[in-house]
Amino acid sequence: MRYLLRKLVLYAFIAWAAVTMNFLIPRLMPGDPVTLLVDRVQGQVDPAAVEALREAFGLSDANILRQYIDYLGSLFSGDLGLSITFYPVPVADVVSGAMPWTIGLIGVTTVIGFVIGTGLGVLLAWRRGSWTDGFLPGLTFLNAIPYFWMALVLVMIFAVNLGWFPVSGAHTPGLRPGWNGEFITSVLWHALLPAITIVLASFANWVIGMRNMMVTVLGEDYVTMAEAKGLPERTVMVRYAARNAILPSITGFALSLGTVVGGSMLTEVIFNYPGVGYTLFQAVKNQDFPLMQGMFLYISVAVIIANLIADVVYVFLDPRTRQEA
Amino acid sequence: MSRRLIPASGKVRAGLIIVAFFLLLAAFGPMVAQHSPTASGPHLLQPPSAEHWMGTTQLGQDVFAQFAHGARISLAVGLIAAVVAKIISILVGVIGGYFRGLTDEALYILTAVFLVIPAMPLLIVLTGYLPSRGVESVAVVIAITSWAGSARVLRAQTLSLRRRDFVEAARATGESRWRIITSEIMPNELPLIASGFLFSVIAAILAEAGLSFLGLGSLTTTSWGSMLYFAQSSQAFLFGAWWWFVPPGLAIALIGAGLALINFGVDEYANPRLRTGKKRRDRSKGRRAQALTVAGSGLAAAETVPAGSGSAEEVAGASTSAGGRIGESALTDSGDDLDTAPAAIRHNPVAGEPVIEVRDLNVEYPTEHGVVHAVQDVSVTLHRGEILGLAGESGSGKSTLTNTITRLLRSPARVTGGSVLYHRHAGREPIDVLTLSAPALRAFRWAEISVVFQSAMNALNPVLTVYAQFDDVLRVHRPRMSARERMALARTMLEKVGIDPDRVRSYPHELSGGMKQRVAIAIALVLDPDIIIMDEPTTALDLLVQREVLDQIMSLRDEFGFAIIFTTHDLALLLEIADSVAVMRSGRLVEYGPALDVYRAPGHPYTRMLLQSLADLGAKL
Repeated sequence: MRYLLRKLVLYAFIAWAAVTMNFLIPRLMPGDPVTLLVDRVQGQVDPAAVEALREAFGLSDANILRQYIDYLGSLFSGDLGLSITFYPVPVADVVSGAMPWTIGLIGVTTVIGFVIGTGLGVLLAWRRGSWTDGFLPGLTFLNAIPYFWMALVLVMIFAVNLGWFPVSGAHTPGLRPGWNGEFITSVLWHALLPAITIVLASFANWVIGMRNMMVTVLGEDYVTMAEAKGLPERTVMVRYAARNAILPSITGFALSLGTVVGGSMLTEVIFNYPGVGYTLFQAVKNQDFPLMQGMFLYISVAVIIANLIADVVYVFLDPRTRQEA
Repeated sequence: MSRRLIPASGKVRAGLIIVAFFLLLAAFGPMVAQHSPTASGPHLLQPPSAEHWMGTTQLGQDVFAQFAHGARISLAVGLIAAVVAKIISILVGVIGGYFRGLTDEALYILTAVFLVIPAMPLLIVLTGYLPSRGVESVAVVIAITSWAGSARVLRAQTLSLRRRDFVEAARATGESRWRIITSEIMPNELPLIASGFLFSVIAAILAEAGLSFLGLGSLTTTSWGSMLYFAQSSQAFLFGAWWWFVPPGLAIALIGAGLALINFGVDEYANPRLRTGKKRRDRSKGRRAQALTVAGSGLAAAETVPAGSGSAEEVAGASTSAGGRIGESALTDSGDDLDTAPAAIRHNPVAGEPVIEVRDLNVEYPTEHGVVHAVQDVSVTLHRGEILGLAGESGSGKSTLTNTITRLLRSPARVTGGSVLYHRHAGREPIDVLTLSAPALRAFRWAEISVVFQSAMNALNPVLTVYAQFDDVLRVHRPRMSARERMALARTMLEKVGIDPDRVRSYPHELSGGMKQRVAIAIALVLDPDIIIMDEPTTALDLLVQREVLDQIMSLRDEFGFAIIFTTHDLALLLEIADSVAVMRSGRLVEYGPALDVYRAPGHPYTRMLLQSLADLGAKL
């Protein structure tokens, strides 16, 4: 439990660091962000939006500590300012509208990619030295493909040329969201190609990581002993080798999450999928700084929570962390 | 490695060719290109032709010109960002790991912050605020968001390196901290740093592509990412203009794969277990580490790697520790007579029937430097209840011999001749262990031969309880036992080795080293096997515990009547406990016979030398 408590404190600190970074970045970057913004769009900003912007940045003549306290205060009351793109919708509302789509798509596909990749990694390590090693170069190639490029290619082949899947969107336009068969089918149907893209783009990473870890563990005495015990191959592979090799993978899963989420967000852009990534893209396009920063905070917190979950899982899997020291 | 300029691995070669191709493209491509990357022309969205080698964009720009210029930008950003990220991660990782204490705590937390906070959104926010976005500033921002992972890896490596002998030795000689860090620690981290660098380049190229794709890249230049941005925003995929968006993404993926392939070479160099092919190289490290591994050179390396046991340092560490071991020092004055002297194989009149007969066994390892004969023409017989002591330095072939008997030899080792006969009952036809089918082998294992490994720390599965590690054996070999009977048996066995039966619920990390070794012995006994192979079962324990465990083994032998093959460096120990002794050297049996005879009248000069060195050390026999 001490282990978890320490982790909890660490993540609380990281969350605080993210919040503070979010506060400091606009202040530390050279130039005044509001002027910068107004310059960039050459005065086409609504005066009300400029005001909203100033408010969102909390830029005032008060000293920086005062600004920081105000910033924390409004953060705790859920106030992230107003979006420029969707003015005058609050940033918090824009983000919470996009979040479910992203958690549904990226959350599920990341886990699927991890499970498939780890399983394949176990098998490839077990059969190392055989013809299956021939997959490795292909996997490293797959691993280096940018998510959004994979999305572009798959869209062109399967959606545009073959017409098997819808080209964009999260559901058929005009369909009213609700818990009915038609809507759910439409959602699943639209999510399929983006999901395939993310799984294809992410699983190779887990395969390679798990294989390397497995190969190291396979050299351990306890695996040799399990074999000497006359245990069935499956037991040696799963209960002895994979069960130990997966521990660093769990940590790796948590740490790679940021990369996967980043890549998947770009995938949403290709598919016009109304999740966090697509919204972020729009925020960038419209120089919508409050929205960008709100997104950054939300995504950071989501990744921190995912890390925490991975740590809890780790405690269940590794008895050594449960030791009362 | 150093003798060869062209790397042997096909993977590394392919990777180098790919990367070299793109470097050349970046260097010379823009000179070859006949158009400016930004100049629009009259031919809009044309497929590749003689005029436009890779077609044109919607504005009539030449895709090849963009592609070649993009290579420059993408590679430049990748390299700059990777260099900057690497410098930060080396500073943070090595300093934190080496200095420990508060510095380390602070740096560790800083690393954790950058590790957990997702890089892409942070990048977007940071670059969003950049007043002017040039190639360099984009690269630096990418570096700031991407150094953490490799800093953590380097910290862990530094933590483990600083406790190694050669670093301790440097500290003892009073070298300054910075000198230790730069000349002892860093050289040993080079493979890690190199592989981290390669991955940083990939990550930075990907990050730049992602940023440019969002329209956040360098505003004044064409990169592969910005090509994709314009292709996407003008819906190139709807028009089927594959020539526009396929090349940049493909190039990124190819470079990534190329760098990863080069990294395979680095990885396999640093971690020999990862090698896929049959080629194995000796490891070499920093200068002090090398000095310490002299002892375990040649055959030692050839044997320890496939056997899956530790590194060359462990071998050296074991053989240089004091106490009448077969140290390599004994070999310094080895003359030709050691190699040419005839083996002293005596008739071994042990009472009882044979249980294992090894006949004319030959085992080979193919290596890069030719075939190593790890075991040559070895014949020994183990009788029921006998303790056979197998002595020899690391690399003498004793582990290969026992691993052949238990069929635990790892590829690429192969048995090229001979047999291992197991006599189940007196008078019945013996079975050849080497020809057993997979199911028959599984049934034979542990029921007839069990193994106690050198280091119990590693022989017990750290994530399973002691009970679970008894239980899986019993489930497989005694399928009719009930759960209650299995638990009762596990508790009984623990009692037999002098451990509180309630410890069945413990995990290995909750037991002391001596207790772990007793648990390993208890598990080895659970099926009442005829033979137990003990591979230096006491080497890893401290002296007092060693003695206790040995006494335990001897009294259990008297109770259960199993035969033991006991491997060790420690000849003095063997002369005390073994009924017969076999001495191996360079894969051959040089001395074999009853322990007392070997002690009184050693027949081979090597044995004489070992006994002499024992006498010199003042060991009481």
